Amino acid sequence: MTHQAKMLVQANRLSKMYGSRTVVNHVDIQVKASEIVAIIGPNGAGKSTLIDMILGLRRPDEGQIEFWRKDYLSYVGVQLQATPFFPGLSAYENLRLFAALYKKKLDRQRGLELLRLCGLEDAANTEASKLSGGQQKRLAIAIATVHEPELVFLDEPTAALDPRARREIHEVIDRLASSGKSVVFTSHDMEEVHKLADKVIMIDKGRIIAEGTPVQLCEQYGVDHLEELYLNLTAKEAVIR
Amino acid sequence: MKTIFRSMLITSLRDPITLFYSILFPIGLLIGLGLYFDSPDYQFRLLTGVLALSTLFWGVSGIAFQVHQQRNRGVYKLLRLTPFPAISFILTMTLVRTLLGLMINAIVFVTGVLVFDIEAELTTILLLLLNLAAGTLCMTAFGFFISNLARNEGQINMISNLFYIPMVFGTDMFYSLQGAPHWLKTAGQCFPLGYLVKGLRASFTGWAKTLPNIAIVAAYIVLFLLIALFTFRWEAEQKLLSSPKRRTA
Repeated sequence: MTHQAKMLVQANRLSKMYGSRTVVNHVDIQVKASEIVAIIGPNGAGKSTLIDMILGLRRPDEGQIEFWRKDYLSYVGVQLQATPFFPGLSAYENLRLFAALYKKKLDRQRGLELLRLCGLEDAANTEASKLSGGQQKRLAIAIATVHEPELVFLDEPTAALDPRARREIHEVIDRLASSGKSVVFTSHDMEEVHKLADKVIMIDKGRIIAEGTPVQLCEQYGVDHLEELYLNLTAKEAVIR
Repeated sequence: MKTIFRSMLITSLRDPITLFYSILFPIGLLIGLGLYFDSPDYQFRLLTGVLALSTLFWGVSGIAFQVHQQRNRGVYKLLRLTPFPAISFILTMTLVRTLLGLMINAIVFVTGVLVFDIEAELTTILLLLLNLAAGTLCMTAFGFFISNLARNEGQINMISNLFYIPMVFGTDMFYSLQGAPHWLKTAGQCFPLGYLVKGLRASFTGWAKTLPNIAIVAAYIVLFLLIALFTFRWEAEQKLLSSPKRRTA
């Protein structure tokens, strides 16, 4: 990563409260071009709320978010935890519909190519809701990238998948990275984070508790694996509270 | 827009349960009761009644389940992250369903005309189409509202029935309400179904008696659309009447 890398997202001091509970507490996040950022943390740490705020689905109580361009929606792809496919439509038909929603025309050849890149070439005509869990996640990623976005958000892309399906998703993320796209993803799998991420943001109880490259973080805290660090930091936080 | 329109058409046509209740069930009812009560007067009442019933099922239940399903799957959440205006998407879906509703009713109408030998002039057909278009739009807007109230599919059935019962029993769709209690007639007049039925019947007599009923249904369209928009939920977990406000870039 060079100093000249373009800043795609700059979020400063984001905060969100639900009632009297602070879910996100003064969080700063930057995402640069071609960067793979992993947001990790325990369940309920505030990861999804943070992503929802960045994407504009929730209004922050405090803080500002800036995107690199005003019409950023056309250049951002999103894979949500739920797999939002239109009932009755095949994998290819869903892809074509979402392309239209992003105001892009998708011919069959390009659609099939995209499905092939996500390992779904045999599932093009299968109703999306009848695909396996891993295939649905891959279709959701294909949909998130159908409009050639510069920045892709993936919310727990490998959750509840078997090792083979997880590996296939890793390959898809690798391909996105090698094509120069920036990826922000959340995960509970520290091995996956270590393997894929350029930058790790660890969140607990709505605050950033550690940030850096996987290697930097392990060195800084004197641990061999991110998982060890994760367990140490989240446990310490629990004791402090 | 063409792709979105076509996709919405496909997704509606591949919903076998709704198609059953909107096509096969009304046609079965029409033929079954029409042949049993072998009287031209009743067959005419039956045809207009079944057209109204089909419009009700297609409009209310069809859209309520479809919207609920799409919302629960996160379709609307993802839609808000695309540059396509969500309101345009909803209007497209409503237009597609109105078009399909008209096609479905055309099948029911042609069946009635063929089986019961009912005569219809061009003006009548035009007025019937106007009535049915207004009725489908009205019931579709009402279906949106029901999907906004319901938290799960069971609730859609319960809430729909809450409105279906006074609408169906308080309207002289299939039988005369001459001897019915006053409160039942009043309950029926509070809903648009009765005016749709009156409009459909009046279509066979000309414009003068039809247009006032279409105007009343049109007023209901505006009312239900406003309520549907006001109560619309983008996400399954969103509370009624609370809007997740979007940050401006």
